[in-house]
Amino acid sequence: MLAVETSKLTKDYKTKEAFLRAVDTLDLAIEESEIYSLLGPNGAGKTTSVRILAGLLRPTDGNAKVLGLDIIKDAQEIRSNVGLLTETPALYERLTVRRNLEFIADLYDVPKEEVKPRIEEIIDLFEISEKIDEPAGALSKGMKQKVAIARAMFHDPKIIFLDEPTASLAPESAKIVREQIQKLAKTEHRTFFICTHNLFEAEILSSRVGIINRGSLVAEGTPAELRDLHKDQRITVFRFTKWDNALKNFFEDLDLELIEIDQNQKSISAIIPQVEKQTPTIIENLVKQKYSMVEVRHEYPTLEKIYLELVETESIPREEEEEIEE
Amino acid sequence: MKWRRIWAMVKKDIREFVKSKYVLSVIILMPLFFAILFPITSVLPIAKLDPAEFGDESIGGFVETMFNKVIDNWETLHPQVQTLVLLSYAMFIAVLLLPIIIPAVTASETVVGEKERKTMEAILASPMSESEIVIGKIISSFLPSVIGTLVASIAYMIFIDILLYPHLGFILFPDLLSMVFVFIISPLVSIISVELMIMVSTRVTSVRDAYQIGSLVVLPLIGLIVFEMLGLLLNSVATLLGSIAVLIIIIIGLFKIATSIFDRERAIVKMV
Repeated sequence: MLAVETSKLTKDYKTKEAFLRAVDTLDLAIEESEIYSLLGPNGAGKTTSVRILAGLLRPTDGNAKVLGLDIIKDAQEIRSNVGLLTETPALYERLTVRRNLEFIADLYDVPKEEVKPRIEEIIDLFEISEKIDEPAGALSKGMKQKVAIARAMFHDPKIIFLDEPTASLAPESAKIVREQIQKLAKTEHRTFFICTHNLFEAEILSSRVGIINRGSLVAEGTPAELRDLHKDQRITVFRFTKWDNALKNFFEDLDLELIEIDQNQKSISAIIPQVEKQTPTIIENLVKQKYSMVEVRHEYPTLEKIYLELVETESIPREEEEEIEE
Repeated sequence: MKWRRIWAMVKKDIREFVKSKYVLSVIILMPLFFAILFPITSVLPIAKLDPAEFGDESIGGFVETMFNKVIDNWETLHPQVQTLVLLSYAMFIAVLLLPIIIPAVTASETVVGEKERKTMEAILASPMSESEIVIGKIISSFLPSVIGTLVASIAYMIFIDILLYPHLGFILFPDLLSMVFVFIISPLVSIISVELMIMVSTRVTSVRDAYQIGSLVVLPLIGLIVFEMLGLLLNSVATLLGSIAVLIIIIIGLFKIATSIFDRERAIVKMV
């Protein structure tokens, strides 16, 4: 059984004045125990997708199953079985961390006799023993987010949706949260569905990444597979011990697409169509002509470059999406 | 309907109220203010006046018709004492505005406040049904109102009795009428006020808007309290039972409307 399965999932926000298709015929298939990141710019439809999958919003069209349950008919059961970390930790700041967790235990019907042991378990897992009886409002941002993840996991859900888990955090707090997610993924064997606009985060946390733009999935695969999407854009860089203008003529005669000629760096970058076959020959000829080389290396397009190409820049800002609602 | 979830929400809300200086001051200070300040500014000056200034003419007409039903030998009382009794009941109506006023703060704090602080999303993401959420919010907004009204009423009655006993020679409060109001009418009116405030709160996005719109919406309830008081003074048990029946019908009707307009999707979308 797939943990998440969507088919042509669509969500429109309509008002008298405006119309926005936040999610557009989205197809997803996420295996159990997978860490899947939905990567996209602000306003791409990530939060709306998660809210639909977590049973908070109804789709306008299409259908989806979460843990085999229908998102419309079984929304309440889905809500019982999934955990959701919202974009802001949104803890009850006047209450202690313990009271926050106890409240969630009651909302999710965690058996009363299991609440105390579960809190102890969570304290160990998240290393929050010193903070458990402090008001949530007194915690640092990173710690709040950590507690919010603990809260999302308290009822032992099979799938956990994390909406921008590090978006509002300082780098050191973001690191704490990422490490916690990695630790949980290793030890807890659950399905994680992470929404993020942070490419680095998607790359280090996920087994698979879906890139979403304007509500539609534009690419999907492991981070390595995504990098391979533009294998043909692999660049070969030749760097020499000293610059010689004849080098330029040499490469121009090869009829290659020259990307960059950098005299300061004493390097020439080119796209070689048959890289495996042509590169050794080029090196051989350069050596024969006594051009002394420091290095020859292949540069692959970064995931960032691929991502930027895919999402372009004209994304709708998030605020616009939010204002359009009823 | 899972009561564990509803009580969890009530407990959580009450704990939050207790930790909020603003809400706590409304629940505690406002009732005391009503209970002590109103008698001091209105009843006390009259009690201090020289009885001779009132002459011998009894307060008759409509007032006599009303008070003959609740005070024995009304017409034999000195006009100053009659004025004191009249004012004591009039100011008691002011105390009975508390069950209308307090929910304006508690309901908007607990519904819109949760939206503003984005904590509502965690509740909406939980298995709690819409009606469980609405019932939980009604109870947690209602309890402080009932407790505040009770505290204020008791304080008011004690204070009035202390002031009036030397003039009356008997204890005015508690009487049947005040008990009916404190224990039956005001809780029912309070539920109506809470429901109206929750309906307003589900539609607005800031606590300030909730206060502004809410205070307009609950305003007619003040008329309702005055109307009930006059009705009960003039009539009797039949009026009381009729009033209770009407209030219960209003409560049920408003609950149905409140649950129908509290839509999960609308709540989440309005929150962002």
